[in-house]
Amino acid sequence: MNAKEPKVYVVDDDADLGATVARLLCRHGFSAQSFLDPVRLLDIYAPAPAACIVTDVMMDDLDGFGFADRVRVTDPAVAIIFMTAWPTTANAVDSVRRHGGIDYLEKPLDEARLLAAVSEGVDWSVRKRQQLARTATLSPREREVFDLLVQGHSNKVIAAMLELSPKTVEDHRASIISKTGANGLAQLIALASLD
Amino acid sequence: MMIASGQARYDGTRAPMADLLLLLAYGFGFWLTLGLAAYWGGRGFYSVWFPAAGLRLALLWHAGPRLTPAIAAVEIVVNLIMGRFNPGSPDLAMTLWGILRPVLAYGGVVAVIRWLASGRRAGVLAPPMPFSLAAVAAPGIAAFSALPEALLRPDRTAVESVQDIMISLTAFAVGDLLGVLIIAPPFLWLAETISQRRNGMIAALRECVIRGSATLEVGLLLAGGIATTWLLNRIGLGSQPMPLILAVAWIGLRFGRFPVWAALTIVSLLILPETAGAFSTIDRLHLHLDLATVVVVGYLAGSYCDAQKQARTDIERRDRLLFQAERLKTLRSMSVAVIHEISQPLSTLAIEAKHLHEITDGADNEIMRSAALVDRKAATLSNLVRRLRRFGGAAVDEPSALPVSALIESVAAIATPEARDHGASLKIGPINPDLVVFAQEVELSQALMNLLRNAIHAANDGQVQLTGEKQGKSVRIMVTNRVGTSHHAKAGMGVGALVAQAIVEAHGGHLEKAKIQDGIASASIILPLAGDDI
Repeated sequence: MNAKEPKVYVVDDDADLGATVARLLCRHGFSAQSFLDPVRLLDIYAPAPAACIVTDVMMDDLDGFGFADRVRVTDPAVAIIFMTAWPTTANAVDSVRRHGGIDYLEKPLDEARLLAAVSEGVDWSVRKRQQLARTATLSPREREVFDLLVQGHSNKVIAAMLELSPKTVEDHRASIISKTGANGLAQLIALASLD
Repeated sequence: MMIASGQARYDGTRAPMADLLLLLAYGFGFWLTLGLAAYWGGRGFYSVWFPAAGLRLALLWHAGPRLTPAIAAVEIVVNLIMGRFNPGSPDLAMTLWGILRPVLAYGGVVAVIRWLASGRRAGVLAPPMPFSLAAVAAPGIAAFSALPEALLRPDRTAVESVQDIMISLTAFAVGDLLGVLIIAPPFLWLAETISQRRNGMIAALRECVIRGSATLEVGLLLAGGIATTWLLNRIGLGSQPMPLILAVAWIGLRFGRFPVWAALTIVSLLILPETAGAFSTIDRLHLHLDLATVVVVGYLAGSYCDAQKQARTDIERRDRLLFQAERLKTLRSMSVAVIHEISQPLSTLAIEAKHLHEITDGADNEIMRSAALVDRKAATLSNLVRRLRRFGGAAVDEPSALPVSALIESVAAIATPEARDHGASLKIGPINPDLVVFAQEVELSQALMNLLRNAIHAANDGQVQLTGEKQGKSVRIMVTNRVGTSHHAKAGMGVGALVAQAIVEAHGGHLEKAKIQDGIASASIILPLAGDDI
């Protein structure tokens, strides 16, 4: 497994399909590994996070949506792609809106769409991790100022909302710019918009 | 329905030779029955039993009102041959009008009733109502049309007083009515049988013979009615129609039109010879009015029974459709389960087959071709499973921009195997790929599939064509097929077309139902175009 290759986990209770998808991804430049049991993956996930997880929806003990919710608590920057042999419109909507999925694929899998979704997921994950890294060093107060800044509020308004002096807000703003490496409000908004 | 279905099968493409043969047969029949009617003739009218009227209505009902001019010509020729008028007479025009008038009245009544019983109005005039209405209306209208001539030219009809005129016209109407109700049905049943229609005369007869107990019941009832009438007459109460009315009403209500027609024919054959000869006109008319009462009651009772039978048959067919719908629900659940089970291994197979195809590129030719074939078949199977799932899915997809060419392509893929099973082939016309409609794909595919299925079942030369073309701000998706001259509706409730109509109307379009023109039947879905295509 090449460390430079984006890591992708495949979860499916059909061992053959999981292995096939993992092999397919490996052939296309990803470092993929398949898992039969999502609980087993959760156990080992924290020390070895992935850029993307491709998971079946209907599985025995823990379904794909439950698994996605739990893995996202551990790693908010992992992209999740759902695949299912029982597609429904309601699940397709929920998979994206409630469970943060990148895509919802029906089986038999459309190979081109799977590869495109995984590539998109990996790119998203990389950007998300960079954003998290750049905002991770912000203090709680700086985080509050950051959240209001990216909503378009002026220093004065933020000062009034947080009951601070405009000068203090100005200092926090300079510190945020410095810590995130952004060179202006536009880049801060771009950084925040990845959520 | 026995008689009324005759109107549905006429398609305007009857061969001229068939028309000529029919008219020749009619001329002979008209000559024969006109001579026969003379036995019951009276003052100012041919007869109080006019079988020729029955022949005329039977032919018009069978072949359509377009034969009216030809029938009029035949009647003029027959009258001429029989010497019933002199071509050199100064009253020739009036004489010819006297011959033409009832034919035109009959043709007009048939045309109006056919119109009333067609299209959306068909629900109001359900069989056997249209024929029954024509059988009653045509003699009445024909008699009424003679009133101006009787009033203006009493010398021509040899009637003088108003009473005589009324007697004459009543006799005219009663004579025609008896002739129509006794003569027309068997000819139409015969035509049904020759055309191999259901419920033909032979089928009805066979049914009657097989049901020996029914035949016995009909015989006993009729014999009882005749005997009671005779007895009442013998004890001095005169000719009382009530026992016969009760008998034929019973027979009609129990067994339908064919048995009651047989009973009415027997009654007529017994009564009519009694009325010939030295009878006064009033007495003769009185007897015929009694007979007409018996015949009308019997025929109405028989028609009611047949309508009830038809309604029961329709309900049974509807029940069968419901059972089928239930089976389809189960089949859908089973297919969804099968699709799920297939999807897992098929995903594996398709991915591995594609990989195998890729890595064998440049390998041994046989290996490469085999790998390519497996890859292609796995991809085809995957598409089939996705398509099946879309159709089997309970959820309705959201409306979206749908290229008409894609719709037609996907429906053709579904319909082709069914067409092949029926020995038909499906031709797709050139379709502009820029034509786009805003639609729910699955629903619209179902609508188009229903029309295609009807066309596949009806195509007599196995050719069904599917085309799509722009028409102003709409697109017309048309299914066409060739049907023979003997085209008639195949078994079915028309549910498929109704479902298609409901779907198309829900999409803001409309369905143009099958029109038969030059032997080509077509059904079109007209939908508003979406976006820039308008």
